[in-house]
Amino acid sequence: MKTLRALLRNPQGAAGLALCSLVMLTAILGPAIAPNDPEAFHFGARFAAPSAEFPFGTDWYGRDLFSRILVGARSTVLLALLATVIGTALGAIIGVVSGYLGGMVDEAIMRVTDAVMAIPSLLFALMILAALGSSALNAVLAIGIAFTPGMARISRSVTLQVRSLDYVSAAKARGESLRWIVLAEILPNTIAPVIVEGTIRVAFAIMTLATLSFLGLGAQPPAPEWGLMIAEARDHLFRSPWPVVAPGAAIAIVAIGFNLLGDGLRDVLNPRTGDHA
Amino acid sequence: MTLTVRDYALYYDTATGPVRILDDISLDIARGEVLGLVGESGSAKSSLANAVIRDLPGKVHAERGSICLGDEDITRASAATMTSLRGKRIAMVFQNAATTLDPVQTLGNHLLETLERHTTLDASARQARALELIGMVGLPDPAAMMLRFAHEVSGGEKQRVVLALAFACEPELILFDEPTSALDATTAATLLDLFRELQARTGVSALFISHDLGTVADIAHRVAVIYGGRIVEQGPTEAIFARPQHPYTQALLASLPRPSDRLTARGLATSGARPAPRRGEMPACLFSGSCPHHDPAICDAQRVHAVPIADRSIACARVARGETLPTPDAPAPLPSPRDSAVLLEAQNLSVTYGRPSLTDRLRGRTALQVRAVRDISFQLHQGETLALVGESGCGKSSLARSLSGLQPFAGKTLLGGVETTPDSAAWRARVQTIFQNPDSSLNPRHTLATILGRPLKLFRPDVDRPAEIARLLQRVHLPADYANRYPHQLSGGEKQRVAIARALAAEPDVIICDEITSGLDAAVQAAIVRLLREIQAASGTALVFITHDLGILRHVADRVAVMYLGEMVETCEVSALDAAPWHPYTEALLSSSHSVDPQSRARRVRLQGSLPKRTQDLPGCPFASRCPRHLGPQCDTQRPPLRQPEDGHAILCHLADDTLHAVPPIWQFKTPERTTP
Repeated sequence: MKTLRALLRNPQGAAGLALCSLVMLTAILGPAIAPNDPEAFHFGARFAAPSAEFPFGTDWYGRDLFSRILVGARSTVLLALLATVIGTALGAIIGVVSGYLGGMVDEAIMRVTDAVMAIPSLLFALMILAALGSSALNAVLAIGIAFTPGMARISRSVTLQVRSLDYVSAAKARGESLRWIVLAEILPNTIAPVIVEGTIRVAFAIMTLATLSFLGLGAQPPAPEWGLMIAEARDHLFRSPWPVVAPGAAIAIVAIGFNLLGDGLRDVLNPRTGDHA
Repeated sequence: MTLTVRDYALYYDTATGPVRILDDISLDIARGEVLGLVGESGSAKSSLANAVIRDLPGKVHAERGSICLGDEDITRASAATMTSLRGKRIAMVFQNAATTLDPVQTLGNHLLETLERHTTLDASARQARALELIGMVGLPDPAAMMLRFAHEVSGGEKQRVVLALAFACEPELILFDEPTSALDATTAATLLDLFRELQARTGVSALFISHDLGTVADIAHRVAVIYGGRIVEQGPTEAIFARPQHPYTQALLASLPRPSDRLTARGLATSGARPAPRRGEMPACLFSGSCPHHDPAICDAQRVHAVPIADRSIACARVARGETLPTPDAPAPLPSPRDSAVLLEAQNLSVTYGRPSLTDRLRGRTALQVRAVRDISFQLHQGETLALVGESGCGKSSLARSLSGLQPFAGKTLLGGVETTPDSAAWRARVQTIFQNPDSSLNPRHTLATILGRPLKLFRPDVDRPAEIARLLQRVHLPADYANRYPHQLSGGEKQRVAIARALAAEPDVIICDEITSGLDAAVQAAIVRLLREIQAASGTALVFITHDLGILRHVADRVAVMYLGEMVETCEVSALDAAPWHPYTEALLSSSHSVDPQSRARRVRLQGSLPKRTQDLPGCPFASRCPRHLGPQCDTQRPPLRQPEDGHAILCHLADDTLHAVPPIWQFKTPERTTP
């Protein structure tokens, strides 16, 4: 509750919280409030511009984009969030442990992450999907794992600074366990850049999920998944921009919302600035 | 007048409103005069230098008054005018030479560039002038020095180059911002000598900013004391230090150690000043919140300004009425509960850095190894304080880390006569460490309750934790409701108290204090030292007190071990520091510490020569390359013997006992009330 109140006092945090709440509400209530069936064709109104009947216009089959976006929010946003959370949590822990232990362990972990990072994340996700079989959940897992090395790098670099500080030495001199040092002494002090990076990654996750769907490995047409919508509408871009603009704008709002929320959280979670905000 | 500042005030804009940085500043620096500006951390003394050089780091909210260089008001000067003034008419010497010099330029290039920018000399004349400047600041082999990079020379040499840069265009005014604070005492002393000599020769004026009153007492003709962005007292150096009149100056001086303290049994005043208000409505007198002589009828009547009284100007309403305010009383030093039983013992302890890497080992190369601590043996008795003194790189911190179980070492450690390794649970429960910087030794994400609760959970799991945390806070004189605070909500001194409370939580027999007072202001330092003594008296804890400051050592230590290049060159009772015999290094160290006491004079012993490479294995005495009492080849080739000129006094030196005894005293005190210890 205290964090929430502080977040509302922080201008970025409040804006981010508002946008993210909007997105989450859409994800939950979307199917209930959608005015049209997202998969119903309106052949009389193909490529319609926004109007009272179709607030965001229609696509090449005349499907109502507004309804498609409302219905698609759930799969798109929740799956992207899940993928980001998996990647961030895994990466942060690997990074902190590797940075703290140093030496051979660090070398080994970091060389492996370097190798993984050398493979484009899409390709890497494809490999994982090829191994696990294609489904929406496997796609989420694949993206999460593909994000892990980048997050590990970031949290490790912060850990290297934190680890040389005296409070870590003090904990070691006190004979604290590895678990306490990593989870209580180091991790909270490395979390700020990790959270910010994580919020940026939400947008990437949406796009990667879309690409996987486009390749037939995630959501399948005619599912109203946002990324898939953009991928499909690409062919018709010159006839009408609306089928690309509407889901594109939706993704942008999610990205900006999470980004602002991330900035706000970073300030609020920092005990130094948190209570003056 | 070289510099005239009149009624200068500066306010910065911050997110939470305007902040008063400086106000009511009036000062003059005559031609050839050195004005010392002293103040504690947060007194805005550096901001004044920034204002004079017109490089204000903050967003200026308001600026009033005038700063005149000669006849020109530089607060109105254009950016272009200032660019041509800086380096030519005003030069600046910063605290940290390592970051002042550009790492990708040779030292010579720095000088040539400045000369090219501000003089009309041609290339060969510039080269000649640069060589002359490098010679002038006492650097050997100027031609070779020109071609070196900053990382290839020592800290003291870097600061000499910065000094040469400042003198390059023969400026009228040089601003010094803590120029010697980052240097070792012996290096700082030679640098100050150099500046004094250059100043006398060139007749340059200087504003010398420092938190170290001893340094300022040594170099300045006049002194201005700044508190909360205001100058509270200003006058001739001797007069201010001999007879401080403003209550703030009095409190400041009363909390500073002096070389004669042990002889006169003088204690240190612990009543420091609170930070001055910076926002909103200002009290009539800035110091009234901390002033022991605050009288609302007089002090709060009207805004207090600095007024000239006899030889000085002073901002105090009561002094202005002709009153003489008494100096605060300092509590008498507390004795330590020392006992003859040996508690902790180290035998032949060595720390070596630099392990050959795998590729080096495969290629049969030996890696360069640094021997940070060599073969040290010492004993710590129950309830006593052993001070480890030495300059940076002498191995004192490596030794502390070894004894805290953070650094692997060779050798044996005994606790209560039983061999125990520092990384064992038995050792950890009885030996605790306090680190130098409380900003980094307390986790910013933890409340004090968590910080103090952890050692309780680990070492005394049975106690009632909240009650014990409250008791610990109370023992270090902090209110119990601090338990829910975060470290950043505390001042520097309070943070260090929390660090002390954390060490006490385990109820240890030994506390290792690694430079715990070095980042603190004098009054806070005095209070921390007092607190340590109180704790010792109550619990009989033994302390290993690591420091580079000889002044404070006289107030905390029972025995002293002087370290140089990883070796203990001298161990003695603290009282033995007052008279010969000394190791020649101890002698130099004693001589380079400054005193604010105008009644004392130090015999000058300055170290020449350079430190040997740390990776070199020296066959002779480690101090041979800089020793002013160097005997001859035996110093360079033979290990010095461990001499015992008196009981409990050991000196590692080739000099004979008689020679060591015959060394004349370093400090001479004119104080009449000298008492024997």
